[in-house]
Amino acid sequence: MISDITIGQYYSGNSVLHRMDARMKLILTFASIVAIFLCKNFFSLGLMVIFTVAATLLSCVPAKMVIKSLKPIIVILIFTAVLNIFYTTGGDTYFKWKFIEITEEGVNTAIFMAIRIVSLVVLSSLLTYTTTPTLLTDALERILSPLKVFKIKVHTLAMMMTLALRFIPTLIEEINRIMNAQKARGADLETGGIVARAKALIPIFIPLMISSFRRAYELAFAMTCRGYTGGEGRTRMKQMKLRVSDFIACAVVCALVGGIIALNIYFEAVI
Amino acid sequence: MTSAIEITGLSHYYNKGTPNEVAAIKNANLRIEKGELVAIIGHTGSGKSTLISHFNGLLKPDEGKVFVDGKDIWQSKESLRESRFKVGLCFQYPEYQLFEDTVFKDIAFGPKNMKLDDEEVKRRVLRAAQLAGVKPEHLDKSPFDLSGGEKRRAAIAGVMSMQPQVLVFDEPAAGLDPHARKQLIDMIKSYREQTGCTVIFVSHSMEDVAYLADRIIVINQAEIAMQGSVSEVFSRGDELTSMGLNVPEITRIFLMLREKGYDVPKDVYTVGQAVPHIKRLMEGGRAI
Ligand SMILES: Nc1ncnc2c1ncn2[C@@H]1O[C@H](COP(=O)(O)OP(=O)(O)OP(=O)(O)O)[C@@H](O)[C@H]1O
Ligand SMILES: [Mg+2]
Repeated sequence: MISDITIGQYYSGNSVLHRMDARMKLILTFASIVAIFLCKNFFSLGLMVIFTVAATLLSCVPAKMVIKSLKPIIVILIFTAVLNIFYTTGGDTYFKWKFIEITEEGVNTAIFMAIRIVSLVVLSSLLTYTTTPTLLTDALERILSPLKVFKIKVHTLAMMMTLALRFIPTLIEEINRIMNAQKARGADLETGGIVARAKALIPIFIPLMISSFRRAYELAFAMTCRGYTGGEGRTRMKQMKLRVSDFIACAVVCALVGGIIALNIYFEAVI
Repeated sequence: MTSAIEITGLSHYYNKGTPNEVAAIKNANLRIEKGELVAIIGHTGSGKSTLISHFNGLLKPDEGKVFVDGKDIWQSKESLRESRFKVGLCFQYPEYQLFEDTVFKDIAFGPKNMKLDDEEVKRRVLRAAQLAGVKPEHLDKSPFDLSGGEKRRAAIAGVMSMQPQVLVFDEPAAGLDPHARKQLIDMIKSYREQTGCTVIFVSHSMEDVAYLADRIIVINQAEIAMQGSVSEVFSRGDELTSMGLNVPEITRIFLMLREKGYDVPKDVYTVGQAVPHIKRLMEGGRAI
């Protein structure tokens, strides 16, 4: 059902990763995702995997949750692996039958791509598991704040994102409620062809739009009444502060990138 | 004769199997006879809406069975669909489900889904509009141009037009002013009188319950705590208070009068019942 979707999937806890400064976490996650694509051989890739596993263990998020975040990409994973095995050729041939040919390079590329995609998803979900959506957008706002010189309204963008995230559960609830009401009037949402189904969505979509607009107006009024005037001169209740542990984390990621580059130079590239 | 709705051993859990599992209704047994007008009361979060969503199969019971007109609704796909039309469910704030460009079309949504012919659909729409008190001149208007109370009536007509055997309201008068509230309650009363259908309603207003209901079902912390006639339930005022509920205001006034030594009965639940007693007292009948 719709309510199974988890967005802003924060897993509350008090691990090292949870306590880390959100800005640093965001930047380091980005850096380590870039590092994934720097790996050129199995040694550097191995280092990357060790880093990913270590980060997962440090976050104290149960392995079950992390694996759950991989569920939606299983199809993509299998698809890319299969494509790579069959379409990349080079090196020794392991298997050949008519036009199907499996080669060393094909297998290597498939393994590489699979591990890269998995680490990418795991690292980015670790970020959302250990950081609340509010903190995340807050961090994003601060990181992007230099863009203000280009007249980009960073604060407004961040506020829009915060509000959008905040209202996702509300909207899901609303959709459920409207769906139930229309089902009670005999609306059939499950059967029929594509056209029939698209048509069946109208009785859900229109009330949803109307109530969303109403909500948006109400929210805007409420914010105005509480003195919201945009980002200008707005102070924060929670100050973000970098601590020693954040610099240690930064050093670790720098070491990771350095290690990967060293291993790339030292060992032969396979991809 | 089969009961309109019968429920045996019904339990429903939200977020089953996760740390935030809540039992919204536990081991409920109840039977609602044809033609009855039943009120369901209980403090907020006690599980009333969850219970009534089982009446037409919107929620599937985790345990227990639901029978509509003697038939287990979860037996097959057809029996489930049948129950949607036999039991009309009118949710809290039903006006938020309006979507068509005219009131007429919106009321016709249910009957159209029943695959009735145009003639019959039109007949049902007009009948439902009349029962729900939708003004004929509003039928060609956009539902979004109506006032809050008028929208509510249009939405209720949208459920009535399916001509269900059982009509269920979840807090039908929520958010209406006293006058519109009175009109709506009277509308439900006359609907029952004109059609003879079974009516079930959830309410937080003990006055409305006393005025309308034949029987009351009290839900407390996901369990059915009491069932009985209006006087049976309201005579247990202390228990109701402990559940965060109350007896009608007029009953409380009469209990206070009794404490002061006036000779008045304690089983007075509506203003209508109270009038002759008050008149008698005013004519100088200080007792004992
Ligand atoms: N979709 C849902 N997911 C999780 N929990 C829910 C959901 N809907 C209701 N609940 C919980 O189930 C319990 C019963 O809810 P329900 O809506 O049936 O109460 P109610 O008696 O109708 O209350 P009210 O008088 O406020 O309408 C509540 O504790 C509520 O928090
Ligand atoms: Mg409710």
